Amino acid sequence: MEEQLAKFVERLVPEATSVKIVDFSPIPGGFSRETYRFDAICATTEGEERLPLILRKDPPALEAILHTSREVEHLLIEALRAHTEVPVSKSLGSEMDTETFGEAAMVITRAPGNGATSDLFNDGPDADQVDDVIRHLCESLVELHKADITSLDPDQALSDARGVGIDTTSWDTYMDSTFQYYIDGYKTMDFDPTMMIVLDSFLTLRRNKPRPLPLAVVHGDFNPANFLYADGKVTALIDWENSRIGDPREDLGWMMLMDVLSNTSVMSHPVDEGGFLAYYNKLTGYDITPQELGYFTLFGTANVAIPVNSAIKRRLSKEHMGFLHLYLVQSSVPAVLALGQLLGYPGMEA
Amino acid sequence: MNTSPTFDDILEGVIAGIGDNLLPAIDNPKAQATAMMMQSLLQGMRQQLPDYDTNIAGEHNEMIQVFNDMAEALGDAQGPAADRIRAAASEFGQRAPLPMPVPRVETTAAHHELSRGLEQAMIDLDELQQAGDARADEALLVMRTHLSPRFVRDVTNWQAAEGFIGRG
Repeated sequence: MEEQLAKFVERLVPEATSVKIVDFSPIPGGFSRETYRFDAICATTEGEERLPLILRKDPPALEAILHTSREVEHLLIEALRAHTEVPVSKSLGSEMDTETFGEAAMVITRAPGNGATSDLFNDGPDADQVDDVIRHLCESLVELHKADITSLDPDQALSDARGVGIDTTSWDTYMDSTFQYYIDGYKTMDFDPTMMIVLDSFLTLRRNKPRPLPLAVVHGDFNPANFLYADGKVTALIDWENSRIGDPREDLGWMMLMDVLSNTSVMSHPVDEGGFLAYYNKLTGYDITPQELGYFTLFGTANVAIPVNSAIKRRLSKEHMGFLHLYLVQSSVPAVLALGQLLGYPGMEA
Repeated sequence: MNTSPTFDDILEGVIAGIGDNLLPAIDNPKAQATAMMMQSLLQGMRQQLPDYDTNIAGEHNEMIQVFNDMAEALGDAQGPAADRIRAAASEFGQRAPLPMPVPRVETTAAHHELSRGLEQAMIDLDELQQAGDARADEALLVMRTHLSPRFVRDVTNWQAAEGFIGRG
């Protein structure tokens, strides 16, 4: 792996005459990509430069939770760096030829900052920074949602990032084609009939379409574990693999659910602004209601539920033997309570 | 309750996970042996679980007869030990046999079939709701009222730790 990586980095850093990979080790982080940290020591005509880098590699297709393109992710990150102030790590490039690393991969720089975001919450060691960090997180999200779509996605690769027939011609076509994707996708994820609460959410979403908002580039996995921070600021929003064109309320709704499941409290900050939603509304003027947030918690959950549970179903039918997928059955169970509450199941009210 | 993954699915997965993910990364021979002992214990559980309830009930019922047969075999043997065995037979040997449990595979299959039926009913109710039939709202409420305590119980039974292990 290190040898292939050295050759790849040599291609990405043209000024390097040779590259040596050191301190290569796996990172136990995201659930959907294999990630490794390493340093590349690049020899150039002017001396030696040590680059702190990360390799993000797709898992084998059958085990993969999300089937999106590392090339598209690379291009988006670089577009964000070019056209916005959204904090992201520089992406050096992607390798879509599976001969090189076994699966598609990309290399990004390692951003400074603490990735153990739980340190901000529950009287953790950085609890004094939480308001400032979450304020900046909210401002970064607003900047993403307000960014010009054509600048960030000139090739429209994010319109139907999963290749499942999403139509982003208008907000209505986006919502309707997404409902169809969810409902058609249920059969790929119904590893147990108790998943019918997810089916209930798909059908309920379709029956209760809310008011439109301008479509935006959404992060797609905006959750308490997907940022780094230092000195009261977000240093990088990470894991852009599920980014796509969508309704901006999806990111808020998904954060609301993951905040509960992760035992964090992002949505309660910044306190002086009345919490994340109030501050987001102040910055955007969208005036999103708690009811809309609940709707898009369901909608955002549906968007993640399909690929995650489809991968679990493939595991249970032994198409692959990944271990993580069994753990996901357990760790996702509390989401059922949140879904029941949002759907108004009797006896499950918040 | 979930009928999939089964307990056996999970035990099998943990055994494989220890072998695929842990053992190759362990250098310490004692830790390696411990990991293999864990696999062995879990495999033993896998082997016991399918017939555990049936075997326990069956063995209980057989023991009732054993007490009676032992007492009969002793005949009129004398002494405190023989008296104790006859006393045990008159106590335990008179017990009513336990009902034999339905094999788990059968209860699971029956449960699974009805749950799939509810799933289809949910789709049919949606069709009626989309057509504006308010009675379908009521029918869906009936189903949700049934499902609520099931889901609450599932969460209580499954949840073991706060948050997602392995994420920031």
